[in-house]
Amino acid sequence: MPPLQLVWRNLLKRKTRFVLTTLSLAIAVFLLCVLQSLVVALNAGVKAAAVNRLIVQSKVSLFVYLPQSYGPKIEQVEGVESVMRWNWFGGYYQDPSNFFAQFACDQEKLRAIYPEIEVIDGAWEDFLTDRKACLVGEATANKYGLRVGDNFPIIGALFPKTDGTTWDFRIAAIYKSTKKNVDDATLFFHYKYLEQALESGEGSGPEGVGIFVVQTAPGADNTEVMSRIDALFEQGPQAVQSTTEAEFQAQFVSMIGNVPLFVSSIGGGVMVAILLAALNTMLMAAREQTRDVGVLKALGFGDAVVGNMLLMQSLAMCLTGGLLGIALAVGSEEPMSKMLGTVFPGYEVTQGTLLTAALVVVGIGFLAGIGPALRARSMSVIAALRRTG
Amino acid sequence: MALIQLRKVVKTYTRGGETLRVLDQLDLDMEAGGFYALMGPSGSGKTTLLNLIGGLDRADEGQIVIDGEDIAAMRGPELAEWRAEKVGFVFQGFNLIPVLTAQENVELPLLLTKLSRSQRREHAQTALELVGLGDRRTHRPSQLSGGQEQRVAIARALVSDPMLVLADEPTGDLDRKSADDVLRLLRQLNEQYQKTILMVTHDMAAAQQAKTIVHMDKGRLGSIEQLR
Ligand SMILES: Nc1ncnc2c1ncn2[C@@H]1O[C@H](COP(=O)(O)OP(=O)(O)O)[C@@H](O)[C@H]1O
Ligand SMILES: [Mg+2]
Repeated sequence: MPPLQLVWRNLLKRKTRFVLTTLSLAIAVFLLCVLQSLVVALNAGVKAAAVNRLIVQSKVSLFVYLPQSYGPKIEQVEGVESVMRWNWFGGYYQDPSNFFAQFACDQEKLRAIYPEIEVIDGAWEDFLTDRKACLVGEATANKYGLRVGDNFPIIGALFPKTDGTTWDFRIAAIYKSTKKNVDDATLFFHYKYLEQALESGEGSGPEGVGIFVVQTAPGADNTEVMSRIDALFEQGPQAVQSTTEAEFQAQFVSMIGNVPLFVSSIGGGVMVAILLAALNTMLMAAREQTRDVGVLKALGFGDAVVGNMLLMQSLAMCLTGGLLGIALAVGSEEPMSKMLGTVFPGYEVTQGTLLTAALVVVGIGFLAGIGPALRARSMSVIAALRRTG
Repeated sequence: MALIQLRKVVKTYTRGGETLRVLDQLDLDMEAGGFYALMGPSGSGKTTLLNLIGGLDRADEGQIVIDGEDIAAMRGPELAEWRAEKVGFVFQGFNLIPVLTAQENVELPLLLTKLSRSQRREHAQTALELVGLGDRRTHRPSQLSGGQEQRVAIARALVSDPMLVLADEPTGDLDRKSADDVLRLLRQLNEQYQKTILMVTHDMAAAQQAKTIVHMDKGRLGSIEQLR
């Protein structure tokens, strides 16, 4: 063990340099945590997906609608417990920047198929009764200061009202999801409301069903059920593709591009940058301490001990910056999650993310310190002492 | 038997493909309790000789037997331990650690001993008082004058009670008054505490403080003057 005062005091000797390097480490580690947390948020839906739910979509693309008549037919397939229609509404509240998802669905089936949706204010029964009733996620309700009983006018973008007015919803209940595959920002409303408006010409937009959410019977083999459904419509008029909920969610993640790869590339770049910053600081520190290295060796301190003095400086510096960055990530979790809110639900700084960040920090501390340490270790006493002239 | 015996010691340096024989078959005996001043022109190999005797560098050939041990045959870690136990160094440029206080600098060699924390502190205080700097314990080297720095360095060299003190131009960077203080201390170490001292110097007045002056030229020993 090298004298610990030497480790700290040499680090703190150049205060500005220490503070700047530590801050850049902190910011970089913070960014790493944020990036990783975004990936976690993206994948949260995939991880939490239910095993007894299948999604039936057009084989062509998610944006091609399916005939209404498919619902009853899918319901007849062996192993299917229940089928729910599900349409992306694509509206907004007051301004297009107020983004959150809205879905039209068969409201009476929602509760059974999605037990993770828990009403925390108002009542399920109230949501089921009237056509304009809607179920709103807690995050969205909080964001716009809405309460049960409030009216919630939504401007239809994909489904505009022919007279240019808004779609009027009444908030019957507010929910919170117990699992990550359903976020707390969504508005659910009656499929019938949409269907009737389109039929009467009150509104316009694509006809047909976006996707069918299928609940399989207990004990049913998902793979077989999926191939049965796909076989049923193989001859048209519209071929379908069934997927598990997990695959369906994963498809969204990959729609934004290969996000994990993208994020790891950015993360990798950030890591290289902080490694270079730490390395630069350590090389300067090592050069300044060359004479100390010679003195310690002359006094009889071992080569390894003297090398460790520099390695420990690097580790101490990187840990200081890293822990600061990690603290920032943890401290900013709430506000970040609020800020990303309805656009990017599920932001969470997991233990795994923190552990990864900590390992990265230790790794960088080691890499930045090992070169100077080995050099100090192998340097002869007289070479080190001569450096000073 | 002499405390230090050098036999046919050869040290060469290669620089730019040229081999320079800095010490050429050097024989030298130094007695325990002696105070030797090593004099000679610049480049004659004085520092090299001192470094070999102190185990900071290795000879190419020959024997260096100190207190019965051939240090030329020791391996690196063994040699480091030997240095810690037997030798105290005083350098021309003081070579204190800038981030440590005077007290901490003096305590440094004691970290390699089995002494407890409080014993280390006590020993270091005693050493600092001996060099007249008991009231400068908490000063950093940058807050001390050159003469004071060198006295702290002497305290560091003697704190572990080595038998041998090696000083390479210890007064080279000092004014006359500070130099005299340092020389008085070295003399005290020799006379009062029986330390064997080998001091490289250019300064005739400094050399006069020693008991013996060894002259050196071009890697070979010249005359030896016995003063006292
Ligand atoms: N590490 C080294 N590499 C090459 N030459 C060296 C080295 N150290 C010393 N020398 C050379 O050896 C000679 C003796 O050096 P030194 O022992 O320092 O002399 P002195 O201390 O008597 O002035 C000089 O010519 C010097 O240039
Ligand atoms: Mg010299």
